[in-house]
Amino acid sequence: MSFLLPCPHCGPRSVYEFRFGGEVKQRPSPDAPAEDWLRYIYTKANAAAVQKEWWYHRSGCRRWLLALRNTVTNEVLETYFPAHSTMNGDHCPP
Amino acid sequence: MGRASGRGKPWPYTRRVRKLENPGPMRITFEFNRKRFEAAPNDTVASALYRAGMRVFSRSFKYHRPRGLLCLAGKCPNCLVNVDGQPNVRACMMPVRQGMRVRHQNAYPSLEHDVLSVVQHLDWLMPVGWYYKGLSHPKAWHAAEPFIRKVAGLGDPPAAGLPGPEYEHAYMHVEVAVIGGGPAGLHAALEFGRAGGQVLLIDDQSALGGHLRYQKNPSARLADLIANLQALGSVKVMQGCSCFGLYEGNLLGVLQPSPHPMVVERLVHVRAQRIVVATGAYETPLLFPNNDLVGVMLSSAVERLIRLHGIVPGSRAVIVADGKRGEEVANDLREAGEAVVATVAADAVVEAVGGKCVKGLHTREGNFKCDLVVVCGHRVPDVGLLAQAGARLDWDADRGAFVPLDLPPHVQAVGEVTGGSLVAAPVTPSKPSFNKRAFICLCSDVTSQDLRDAISEGFDHIEPLKRYTTATMGPCQGKMCQLNAVAICAHEKQRSMAATGMTTARPPNPSVTLGALAGPRHHPIRRTPLHCAHEELGAVWMDMGDWKRPRFYRTAASSMERRCVDEEYRAVRERVGLIDVGTLGKLDLQGRDCGVLLDWVYSNRLSDLRPGRVRYSVLCDEAGIMLDDGTISRIADDRYFITTTTGNLDFVQQWLEWWLIGTGWDVHLTNVTGLAAVNLAGPQARSVLRKLTICDLSREGFPYMSCRQAEVAGVPLLMLRIGFVGETGWEMHFPGEWGEYLWKKLLEAGKEFEIRPFGVEAQRLLRLEKRHVIVGVDTDALTNPLEADMGWVAKMDKADFIGRAALLRLGARQPQQKLVGFMMQGDSVPEDGAAILVRGRLAGRVTSARYSPVNDKAVGLAWLAAEVEKAHNEIQVRVNGRLEAARITRQAFYDPEGARLRM
Repeated sequence: MSFLLPCPHCGPRSVYEFRFGGEVKQRPSPDAPAEDWLRYIYTKANAAAVQKEWWYHRSGCRRWLLALRNTVTNEVLETYFPAHSTMNGDHCPP
Repeated sequence: MGRASGRGKPWPYTRRVRKLENPGPMRITFEFNRKRFEAAPNDTVASALYRAGMRVFSRSFKYHRPRGLLCLAGKCPNCLVNVDGQPNVRACMMPVRQGMRVRHQNAYPSLEHDVLSVVQHLDWLMPVGWYYKGLSHPKAWHAAEPFIRKVAGLGDPPAAGLPGPEYEHAYMHVEVAVIGGGPAGLHAALEFGRAGGQVLLIDDQSALGGHLRYQKNPSARLADLIANLQALGSVKVMQGCSCFGLYEGNLLGVLQPSPHPMVVERLVHVRAQRIVVATGAYETPLLFPNNDLVGVMLSSAVERLIRLHGIVPGSRAVIVADGKRGEEVANDLREAGEAVVATVAADAVVEAVGGKCVKGLHTREGNFKCDLVVVCGHRVPDVGLLAQAGARLDWDADRGAFVPLDLPPHVQAVGEVTGGSLVAAPVTPSKPSFNKRAFICLCSDVTSQDLRDAISEGFDHIEPLKRYTTATMGPCQGKMCQLNAVAICAHEKQRSMAATGMTTARPPNPSVTLGALAGPRHHPIRRTPLHCAHEELGAVWMDMGDWKRPRFYRTAASSMERRCVDEEYRAVRERVGLIDVGTLGKLDLQGRDCGVLLDWVYSNRLSDLRPGRVRYSVLCDEAGIMLDDGTISRIADDRYFITTTTGNLDFVQQWLEWWLIGTGWDVHLTNVTGLAAVNLAGPQARSVLRKLTICDLSREGFPYMSCRQAEVAGVPLLMLRIGFVGETGWEMHFPGEWGEYLWKKLLEAGKEFEIRPFGVEAQRLLRLEKRHVIVGVDTDALTNPLEADMGWVAKMDKADFIGRAALLRLGARQPQQKLVGFMMQGDSVPEDGAAILVRGRLAGRVTSARYSPVNDKAVGLAWLAAEVEKAHNEIQVRVNGRLEAARITRQAFYDPEGARLRM
């Protein structure tokens, strides 16, 4: 793994500067059935396709960003900082 | 050794012929096996030794057969030596340096006489895959293993513990990287350079030019090319550097030997927008019995010896060649002054004869006496990097080579690596020579007979054949043997070369030293602002992550750890002690919604904390696993101060920031770990502080678990009244620049109370007596607060928080294990990690254990299976191989009511 990841703030950087934060998932509501919680906590879609995922630019601007990455080719189609106030389903704290 | 080989008679010493390039004055001296040798400035280790008469350069991997120079281009395994302690260096690629110390390897006692060469007469004991067949029984393997381990492998690693060579890493970004400095690479570099591109030209030979350097009548063109290149400012040349891998994202791994005197190798990460592979083609050996004898040499190697080093390779040569190539080489040899006895076609060769060195060649056209067999082998495009880039390799029957097709868009291939100028030749003689001495793989002594046997055993696909026989898996990574192996496999199975295919090319190729991959031996060290003060006090250091922390302090009376820790412990319990806790992670949170965020991420409730109060909490993930713990202090309505464990700061900060995203909450998070922090603790702590501050320190005015902003000795600080070590105490956070000043002020003020600085070891003992856990020591990646006996810290009545759903479910079922305290009944002290048994059955393990002076027994924390914890109070702990009795305790080992904390 040695691809470049374009950081929205710092520009294209080696992927080793980043911490992988996992695929974007929807947090179930507190009263959701156990299966939903199990899926949320323990399983991953691990899709062989373009996937929306979290990255943290540890050795750069130290900000969380979202990336659309093709998990087969490691081609990064798009990266962007999530908005502070609205997430459009990227993230789901209460 | 310096002069002779074979029968003690000196080899024909180099007869200098006028037409040869003068190697220049012999000015450099170096050592080989403790003997002095001289070398010319352009010499490699191999050429200097060859000129001095040395012929045997190594012993083969399995049979310990003598091996001499074969390719002279860094492609074969025959000249691996140890240079200045570094094993497996190719002598033909290593320029001679003054004072260099070279040793042979894989031979005992000497290259000339190697006792293990008897192995070649035991080859009937070791057919292909013999270790799978003969050593399949565990007993047989265990009996043979020590011997096999001793004799297997090439070279000796540098001795451990010695200051070895230094390595470094560097990073480069270029528009175009051209790999290979032959004519095709030079033309490509010129073209891109003229177009204004910033070009990096990487060449693994000692000078630019590729085969133009040593083949006939090229020189004018080469000189022009190089002059044109130098005239361009935009082309940078990395000479003598090998490119060992082409990775995703156009990343090239390039190894640069001795870039400056401080390091032996530099690994350069080259990121190129465009990659031009011009690695050319290399010559490979032909297959006939004893084709590995010393003195059987590739024609390109012969040309290199003559033209690059001014050496006549032998005195009587036989040339094995098809077509006009034989004539070219014959002319070269004759011009240099060597007799050419005969030129024979490849399929006429019967076998080479000789002992250590070749003495003759038997052919269908007659037997010839000679001391040099020049083999004009097949030229193979060096497609490794292209295959790594994702190119498809297809057999081109016209060219007799696997050629790269379907290159990815950013990679292009030029020159002979594309198969361009190669001419077709039969890849193996029409009847391949199957013989136990016809070597295909020189790296691990695999013969054509071995391959045939393996194929007949069913390993008839090229990939399993490779793994079973280890052909193509040695130091040359298949460069010398791949084509022959594929041809044999195709012949035996009556398949085409295309259908047989090649094995997968993977980096690194050529090999890279582990030191170069590991890089510089730099380790970042973090020091607290009080570091020098500890040094003056005689601190004995320990590493905690990147941090240095005093483990304990030596005193005039003793430097023994046990005594020092004991005294430090007593000072805290009986008088007063001072410890540097600056390594704690410290986060400053400001904003209206801090309480909402903290309620959300921490399991405890923190929004209702009153300003001036402190609360302990753990941080769980969504699975209810404890990630961290610490104290949360509310300084003001809109301001909190968090401490995290030493190693978890980055994680906690990222975790909090992540959960903030998308909430719109008004929280600003600042890492303030640069602050100095100390903990003053002990019955006399208040008396010491009173001398330095006007702050009300009374039990009522500054109660346990509260915080104040105050001044001590004029330093503004945040004081937390907390008690990790179990005594009245204050943790003080203040700007680092006042660190030493306040530390010394506190020690001075504490002098009359016999204050002692204490280290991590005493702190661990003190906290263990209080049964305070350390996250990451007493807990692991499966620990939840319920099992850790800390269920009280999870406020399940909060509507939601990270991990609540999991903790609810965990609470509804029986726990599997429990963290308990235990006290030993005898005098022994178990080690951390010791096994716990109940009625002879394994029931758990110790996480921390220390001798507790107040109890005069060892105490500790341990994980126990939940059903055992319920049913038993008596357990056994394994100490020094014996089982010792211990009793489970359900409260702290010291001051269980916490009265001393609140005093």
